[in-house]
Amino acid sequence: MKTSKRVTSVVLSIWIIVTVAPSQLAAQTAAGKSPSDNRPSAAPQWSVQVDKVVTGDVILEPAFRIAIYENLLQELAKGKCFKEVFRSGDRNARDITDLLILKTTVQKYTPGSETRRAVTTVSGATKLKVRSQLYTRDGRLILERVVDGNVRFFGGNLRATHNLARNIAKTIKQSNLPTPTSSIPEQKAEGSPVSTLQAVRSRED
Amino acid sequence: MNCKAVSSKHDPNACFLINRLLAYTILLVWCSTAILAQDPSAPVSVAGVPGIRVTHVLGLEGASSNAKGNLTIQDKAMQFQKGGGAATQVSLDSIQDVFLGEQSKQFGGLPMTLGKAATPFGGGRVISLFSHKKYDTLTVEYLDVNGGLHGAIFQLNKGQGQVIKNELVAKGVHVTEVEVQPKKQSTSEVESENK
Repeated sequence: MKTSKRVTSVVLSIWIIVTVAPSQLAAQTAAGKSPSDNRPSAAPQWSVQVDKVVTGDVILEPAFRIAIYENLLQELAKGKCFKEVFRSGDRNARDITDLLILKTTVQKYTPGSETRRAVTTVSGATKLKVRSQLYTRDGRLILERVVDGNVRFFGGNLRATHNLARNIAKTIKQSNLPTPTSSIPEQKAEGSPVSTLQAVRSRED
Repeated sequence: MNCKAVSSKHDPNACFLINRLLAYTILLVWCSTAILAQDPSAPVSVAGVPGIRVTHVLGLEGASSNAKGNLTIQDKAMQFQKGGGAATQVSLDSIQDVFLGEQSKQFGGLPMTLGKAATPFGGGRVISLFSHKKYDTLTVEYLDVNGGLHGAIFQLNKGQGQVIKNELVAKGVHVTEVEVQPKKQSTSEVESENK
């Protein structure tokens, strides 16, 4: 009886490990879906040009810098919150009137280790924190957020850049961008004019 | 030890189950060791196609992420060819900068991760200690025909990055070698500069 209990507990623990591991991975990537994500949004009015990622004083590997940039382009296009997504320096963006420029500045980078994560589970996380700013063509700041992207359990270090880009795209999608000037009717708009949003949000780990 | 004594009294199938479980565990550990025993550092290329075997991590237009293929440096272009499929080329003139770095990664992918998670008594963690490998990373910044900036990241076997670097330098491309990532956490904060 005692042995069968032991066997049952061993089998049960293996089953739990196998079941929990993929769900942990899914939880890490999903980053808490809110019901608002499924809400259909209005047709996008702005186009966006993603600027080069600025690292400032932070020592960041070029692979990470490029991965953030490329993942941002991918996630913004996937999110469908902008009419068009342009790369930095793209000549086609010159003729676009309602263009926003997305500037990304790295504020903090904690290099992690995939092996340390796999061995200890609790240490070795790769953490990235960036300041994302959306500017209009005339240099007016319309959105500013501090966003982070981490990889804590499974996946390579570059996965942090993917998580970060997805969080940035999600943050932009959830924020209320002002109506482009070309879309405002000629008569004076009711209420306050296009307001400047300046909500810096710092997400705790 | 006392397993036999208990099982003979109560449940004769229990010991059989334990033995099977142990056999599976041994098989799993053996499989992991077999994977570890492989030496992927040897330069391998797709049959008949010259070049260096690389993994395209992300960024190259026309090539899917994590695609394995051959990277070749030609007279005027850098070419990535996935298996026997269509090749993606980047003109050497359009390359702005090339960075060479290195990183350590666990190998085996998701099956290995699940296997490690399923290994009882923390055996998976022990496997993780040995199932990592250093890779070279090649980051290429280039411009498309519209002037848009692109970045492509390739993962190469250790030592192969130097070969590519030498070839690119010979063609006149600017290559920057990135210093090895600092071991200690470098969480330098940048003062908030809005503009």
